[in-house]
Amino acid sequence: MRFILRRLGFYLIAFWASITLNFLLPRFMPGDPVSRMFARSQDRMQPEQIEALRKLLGVDDRPIWEQYINYMQNIFTGQMGVSISRFPTPVTEVISSQIGWTLLLGGTALVIAAVVGNLLGILAAWRRGGAIDSALPPVLVFIGSFPYFWLAMGALYLFGVVLGWFPIRHAFTDGLEPAYTWEFIGDVGAHLVLPALTIVLVSIGGWMLGMRNTMIATNSEDYITMAEAKGLRPGRIMLRYAARNAMLPSVTSFGMGLGFVVGGALLTEVVFAYPGVGYQLLNAVQGLDYPLMQGLFLTITAAVLLANFLVDILYVRLDPRVRSN
Amino acid sequence: MTQPRYFRAARMTAASLAVGAMLLTGCTANVNKTSTSDAGANASAFLTIPREDMGTFVQNFNPFAPTVNPMVQQSIYESLLIFNPAKGDTVPWLATEWKAAEDGKSVTFTLRDGVKWSDGQPLVADDVAYTFELQKKIKGGFEYLDTVTAEGNKVTFNFNKPWSPALYDVGQLIILPKHIWAALPDPEKDANAKPVGTGPYTEVDTFQAQSFVLKKNPNYWQPEKQKIAGIKMLAFAGNDGANLAAANGDVDWAPQYIPNIEKTFVSKDKEHRQYWFPATGAMINWQLNTTKAPFNDVDVRKALSMAVDRDQVTKIGMSGYAKPADCTGLSGNYETWKNAAVKDNCTWTNHDVQKANELLDKAGYPKGADGKRTLKDGKPFEFKISVGATSSDWLSVANVIAQNLAEVGVTAKVESPDWAAVVAGYETGDFDSGIVWSANDPSPYKYFNTSMGTSTVKPVGTKTFDNYHRFGDTKADALLADFVGAADESKQKDIANKLQEEYNDVAPLVPLFSGPEWGAFNDTRFTGWPTEDNPYATLSVRSPTTVLILSTLEPRK
Repeated sequence: MRFILRRLGFYLIAFWASITLNFLLPRFMPGDPVSRMFARSQDRMQPEQIEALRKLLGVDDRPIWEQYINYMQNIFTGQMGVSISRFPTPVTEVISSQIGWTLLLGGTALVIAAVVGNLLGILAAWRRGGAIDSALPPVLVFIGSFPYFWLAMGALYLFGVVLGWFPIRHAFTDGLEPAYTWEFIGDVGAHLVLPALTIVLVSIGGWMLGMRNTMIATNSEDYITMAEAKGLRPGRIMLRYAARNAMLPSVTSFGMGLGFVVGGALLTEVVFAYPGVGYQLLNAVQGLDYPLMQGLFLTITAAVLLANFLVDILYVRLDPRVRSN
Repeated sequence: MTQPRYFRAARMTAASLAVGAMLLTGCTANVNKTSTSDAGANASAFLTIPREDMGTFVQNFNPFAPTVNPMVQQSIYESLLIFNPAKGDTVPWLATEWKAAEDGKSVTFTLRDGVKWSDGQPLVADDVAYTFELQKKIKGGFEYLDTVTAEGNKVTFNFNKPWSPALYDVGQLIILPKHIWAALPDPEKDANAKPVGTGPYTEVDTFQAQSFVLKKNPNYWQPEKQKIAGIKMLAFAGNDGANLAAANGDVDWAPQYIPNIEKTFVSKDKEHRQYWFPATGAMINWQLNTTKAPFNDVDVRKALSMAVDRDQVTKIGMSGYAKPADCTGLSGNYETWKNAAVKDNCTWTNHDVQKANELLDKAGYPKGADGKRTLKDGKPFEFKISVGATSSDWLSVANVIAQNLAEVGVTAKVESPDWAAVVAGYETGDFDSGIVWSANDPSPYKYFNTSMGTSTVKPVGTKTFDNYHRFGDTKADALLADFVGAADESKQKDIANKLQEEYNDVAPLVPLFSGPEWGAFNDTRFTGWPTEDNPYATLSVRSPTTVLILSTLEPRK
């Protein structure tokens, strides 16, 4: 329990530091939202409108410390304000309307990549020099080192356009009413295949290699030899003895990955026109939409910290050495 | 793993264009998927249009929103008149006629009879007056506008000074229904989810995060022109998705930039697919910060301009789709305003390395033994060209210019941080030179005012949103003052001719090319598109002329 409390204290400080950064960083960027909007409108706006727009959007001219106090108050009362680029939609609404798709896409891809990647890693290390060990890593690393954009476009072109197996855009067929029916869920699933598959393809190599390498180190430990000497089934040794010990770094990565899923997969969203917060974040940064940026960063920060916290707790369960510390 | 992916965003655009072009090139496997559809299906089909810079839509049809939903200003609300830059003519729309007062201090519009809002209420003059009141209150602007008075079916705009450019300014503002908007407590913050307008397609239907449909306005004033069942907008987070949809034949209209369009789009179905890029966009200028030496020297500006090979610039930077500028400074949007005498005798906008060298020698910027020129204070003739990193086309333009300049011994470095940083430099006057768009109104007044009117010049350090190059000319001021006072268009043309002569003399900036208005279509399902032979509108989906297309298209029979 003391361990958890100590970790909790650490996370509170980390949280404070990151929300402070979230506040400061956007404000160090040059310009303000309105002049950016003006520049991006490429002369479809009149300069005289700038003042009015500034007032309308509530762009702050207050001293920065006052804004900071206000910002902290808002965070703890859950008010994230109104998005500037999507004015007058509240930030919470912009995020909540899209975070579901982000989690679906990122979560599915992460779980598949982590589970399959780790299993392949375990198998590769267990049968070192075997077919999986010698053929898969180079292939996966090769695919993983492709520019993601290129790979995604290629997959989209081949499976979407030429073969026509999968839809080429959006999260579901336009015109279909979202509902918990098999038809709709099937449609969403079909639309999910290509975006998720491409993410899995580029990230699975990392999981597999990481697992394989730690597993190899674990395999040469004495307790493995001991287990073999005891005559345990190889499958049991592989999973319960070697893999369980080799899995710790993977668990950390998984926690990190889980946190970052919330940030969205920008390029996937761009190529497959998949809804999500990644493109929203890019837009917010480009348009200096402070409220939306803060809202998104806050969500990401909270998710990363929460995921790490969960991993820490899981660690206690997985690795007894942490407890005794 | 997943985390560093979105940091690559900045490089995304450039890469995506190249990759997109590459992948789409030569894909002929799926020709004519949709071209064999039958006529019955067409009649009930929606005109499908992609929107390439919105990953998702929000149900917000408020025209005052900073990011207005597509089609709000094109098919839901309408304006009094429509200026069509492709032909240079003006189409009466909600107003049937208008008349400027002799003294240039007012203009009176006569409203069309029988126009109704989509809720059945009639359009009245008071709606127009109220719209301007609301516009001024929420968004500001229109500072020359004193009062708007409504009387019967006539609306009079009174100005606080003679102001001839006002006609298009007020004429093209979309009109809102007073009976709806006056009842809202916070009109600027209302989502206007069910808009009421006078346009042809106003009824929002099946609104979803990535698509929505606008169906026919049941009370449209020209029902015979509502020949399509409705408009369907699709959301895309970038050009590539939209381009793929266009190449695949899933959309009818492709207003976004498509690289290598002949191969990636047209070649798949030559019979039905066309593109048309009229040079009616804004003039793209190379702006030199005239508060800094040597750019305050007109000979330097002209010599640098002569060193630029505009054919190469447009060919490499703009894939050959843009039209090189001439020394009137006016883009293809102002074809009817151009002074033939000036245009036919251009010197400083023609590529001429020898003359550029001579002019620089004469002006006192000698070439050293290493072939590089020095400034008058002995420092090397070096400066930066700033362009935003995501604009791959303009970056190539800047690079071509830098290469061209090397031929006359001038060193230019292309600098490409984020657009925001570049623009912040332009605004405060802390830059050497940059590639910048310019005003593109129906009247050339604003272009000349922001390129050489002293009233738009702000001191360095003070933010400005036009005239980044900070050049003012008192002679031009006098002409501009005459222009705004001239109610008569032929008189305006005389003055515009003189403005072009002055522009030609002082070379306030270096005009490069008329920006093209991108646009392509697929007439498999709908016919009646504007083309070069029938330029009744441009193929833009975001300009006032868009409604002309929406009210012309019909399902293929």
